[in-house]
Amino acid sequence: MASPETRVLLVTPDFPPAKGGIQLLLERLIENAPGLRTRVLTLGQEGATEFDRDAGLDVRRVARADGDRRIAALRLNAQTLREAATFRPDVILSGHVVASLAAISLRRALRTPFVQYVHADEFRVRARLSAAAVRRADATIAVSAYTREMALAAGARPERVNVIHPGVDLPAAVPAAREEEPTLLTVATLLFRYKGHDVMTRALPLIRAQVPEARWIVVGDGPFRPAIESAIEAYGLGGSVELLGRVSDSERNEWLDRASVFCMPSRLPADGLGGEGFGIVYLEAAAHGMPSLGGNVAGARDAVLDGETGLLVDPTDHLALAAAATRLLAEPELARKMGAAARRHAEAHAWPLIAAKVEALLHEVASGRVPPAV
Amino acid sequence: MCGICGRTDDPAATAVKAMNAAMVHRGPDDQGIHTDAEAGISIGARRLSVIDVEHGHQPLANEDGTIWAALNGEIYNHPALKAMLRERGHRLATGTDTEVLVHLYEDYGPDLVYALEGMFAFAIWDSRNGSLLVARDRFGEKPLFYSSEGGQLAFASELTVLAAGTELSGDLDPAAVDEYFVYGYLPGERSILSGARQLPPGHLMRWSAGGELELRRYWHPPSPSGAGAESTEDLVGELRRLLETSVRSRLIADVPLGVFLSGGVDSTLIAALAARESSGAIKTFTVGYDVGEVSETDVARATARELGSEHHELILPQEEVARRVPAVLSAMDQPLADQSLPAFHAIAEFAREDVTVAVGGEGADELFGGYPRYRWLARAERIGGVVPKPLAALGSRALAGALPAGRSRRLADVLAPREAMERQLDWIAGPRTALRGSLYGPRLAGASSRAQPVAELERACEAADGSVAGRFMLLDQVHWLPGDVLTKADRASMQISLEVRTPYLNHELAEFAATVSPDLHTSGKGKVLLRLLLAELLPDSSRRRPKTAFRVPAAEWLRGPLAPVLRDQVDSGCTYEEGWIDRTAASTLLEEHLRGDADRSEALWSLLAFGLWLDRLRGRDGIA
Repeated sequence: MASPETRVLLVTPDFPPAKGGIQLLLERLIENAPGLRTRVLTLGQEGATEFDRDAGLDVRRVARADGDRRIAALRLNAQTLREAATFRPDVILSGHVVASLAAISLRRALRTPFVQYVHADEFRVRARLSAAAVRRADATIAVSAYTREMALAAGARPERVNVIHPGVDLPAAVPAAREEEPTLLTVATLLFRYKGHDVMTRALPLIRAQVPEARWIVVGDGPFRPAIESAIEAYGLGGSVELLGRVSDSERNEWLDRASVFCMPSRLPADGLGGEGFGIVYLEAAAHGMPSLGGNVAGARDAVLDGETGLLVDPTDHLALAAAATRLLAEPELARKMGAAARRHAEAHAWPLIAAKVEALLHEVASGRVPPAV
Repeated sequence: MCGICGRTDDPAATAVKAMNAAMVHRGPDDQGIHTDAEAGISIGARRLSVIDVEHGHQPLANEDGTIWAALNGEIYNHPALKAMLRERGHRLATGTDTEVLVHLYEDYGPDLVYALEGMFAFAIWDSRNGSLLVARDRFGEKPLFYSSEGGQLAFASELTVLAAGTELSGDLDPAAVDEYFVYGYLPGERSILSGARQLPPGHLMRWSAGGELELRRYWHPPSPSGAGAESTEDLVGELRRLLETSVRSRLIADVPLGVFLSGGVDSTLIAALAARESSGAIKTFTVGYDVGEVSETDVARATARELGSEHHELILPQEEVARRVPAVLSAMDQPLADQSLPAFHAIAEFAREDVTVAVGGEGADELFGGYPRYRWLARAERIGGVVPKPLAALGSRALAGALPAGRSRRLADVLAPREAMERQLDWIAGPRTALRGSLYGPRLAGASSRAQPVAELERACEAADGSVAGRFMLLDQVHWLPGDVLTKADRASMQISLEVRTPYLNHELAEFAATVSPDLHTSGKGKVLLRLLLAELLPDSSRRRPKTAFRVPAAEWLRGPLAPVLRDQVDSGCTYEEGWIDRTAASTLLEEHLRGDADRSEALWSLLAFGLWLDRLRGRDGIA
């Protein structure tokens, strides 16, 4: 099946060295897809030259207008047209709907097929563009069943929407034993209300009423930090919460090895759209053998298998969240069992396995076959 | 709803019986007492039946009768709590919200407060370890007074009820009297009577058989942080989700229910959401007056038409004022100088003919930045930051002399270089503070220093570190809201056995409000998010003339129907006989007002409310 000749032009505004779920996803895909010849077209950013040199990838960058994402996106699309003329891709992979304009034009003009990646939030923030992209794409990759539902609601043809979860880097070994002290861990940028730090704050006193030593470690920084600090103070929780801010990868991994339960009760944003497309971080916790606690909505339903690799609860209900967290903290054997299942779930999402699925889809689209929906 | 009381040294329940008898108005439908003879403790409750009318007898116990609870108020999330408790194997015998307390206590101990959403004051007796827990809701919607002597504890929903079951002497606390004349209400922990205290909002207290008393704050309104990078649209979306949930939970009742509608943003928004949740037409109630220019019945009527509500309108005539005001003010357990108290009482009584529960807009101004004062204080702070003090003082004097009263006087005040807290004190206490020096009698000698109230206010919002507007919004949430607004709502409604529910005072909503920048809250006409949501729900209503506050024609009433009452007070009231206030100074003030030389309503009203209350306490309530 592998056809080394399949030339893929990956167009994306999000690519390393910037950090983020989409960035990591696209980098790992091309690193793990030996059967593709991929050229990346993305935006310039600080540290890009060094990254591109060290990564050994074929990356072209478009100078980004200072701070203006719209102009940057237009430039990216314009450059896509030029790049297509020289690189002559068999298929275009659009990493985000903002890169789809040129892909749509090329499909019409040169019949170059294209595959659209969708994550979730774009259906809320750029509803019309997202609808146009998924309607015209030869295939759409949705990162979760939830995102697939959003693509279908936007008018995508069901047989063309494929669910392929993001993958995860597997640490060589999971820790033999976790820390004795009951610790809840959240890793998330403090940028979005829907991540549920407010509901966690409300739940913590009830958790501590039954597991008095329980503490909550919060990794990540962002504009919501003062609000979270203020709420923690209002609940008198200062002694049992640590806001670590941004930490190094190694410190983050250390916490993933030490903490008892990963907690991120993400909910749907108030308008009911967007939210967690998948939640790679649940999978990262799983890779470290840690059970997760998430919201029973959106992409977390794919990332966490309820009752198997963790527990999913109504993310607006701090009572339910407290009860689930207490259960996992108070029943170490249950947490250990779920942690082991989580690791297996993560292993099934190793990047080579995920990249192979994407690769197969790209080959099929490039060869003109209509791919079956997954 | 209801009232609760108890005493840790009352094995025959003598005191608790007396306290139950003193609060029939709070709970006319039923009463109950639980005595643990071995421990010598009794707790009592009176009930106004709102939920599970048939089986709501209090106090009630857990499965094995070891834990007993009495509740005043409502636990709005009781259906979810019951489902959770049943899932955990608890056996619930009634449909009441009180029952969740004993079972939650079994699971969480005193931290059960974190599971509760509602307005409450409750007591839980744990016979297993001989401890008594009393707690009060987060904002102080429901009251709780206590006294502690010789290692024993007594508590009750109202101060006069506590007095009926204890040996309180009836001596007034001069510091509390001074506070009353500064603020017009009793903030914080003090009560007007020596020896009795208020359990502050968001606090719980644990008494143990050894006589130890442990007071703990479990929650306070978060200091406004102004964080986040969300769009206004997203914020309105979140507000809507939370407010809809809050309104829905407050519409659960087994008795008829209505909405107080003034026509302002706060109550209109609540009414609009209630109308969407209700299958039939909702009932709305408004009060207006036959004098002055503050009646807002037209606006309310237009809003009611738009909502399609069954609207009821009460006009409070002047002749009614002469009867109602003295009756209401004297029946208070502590004096309260809020001029709208009698009007609130009138509308509550009027609504009680049709409903047992009414929903109101209390708390919106404090949480969502409604008072114009927040914007003025922020302006004053900005001016103080850039204009040199001597120049600002000069400008202030020039403005004050050159322009008529009102807005320009406030502008002049903004320019005057002063600490923000002092300015706030003047604006909330009005002319009362300035008059303290001349009005105070010998019993209050030395109490009129300015430094103390300022220090008290500073303490009340010590946690705040945000903007000026945010700091004073927080101050109002912990000071003015429980001390005045919620005391008024509780006592006025309880005098006629009506339950008032307040959807804005949901802690999740308050926590959300604190994450929004105070500058955004207070921009434009203030309450920006509420206005935007209202524009989504009722576009026509949001365009109507904005209402400013729940006001009454106090100056006219004091010159008219209340003038003889005040004269009687100054001539023979206990306030003057006991030396709290100087009779001559009060008389001068009254005559100035009656002649129309000056508007002394603020100070005169506080004298009237205090005087009528004190005479009643001393058994001289025939004065009206």
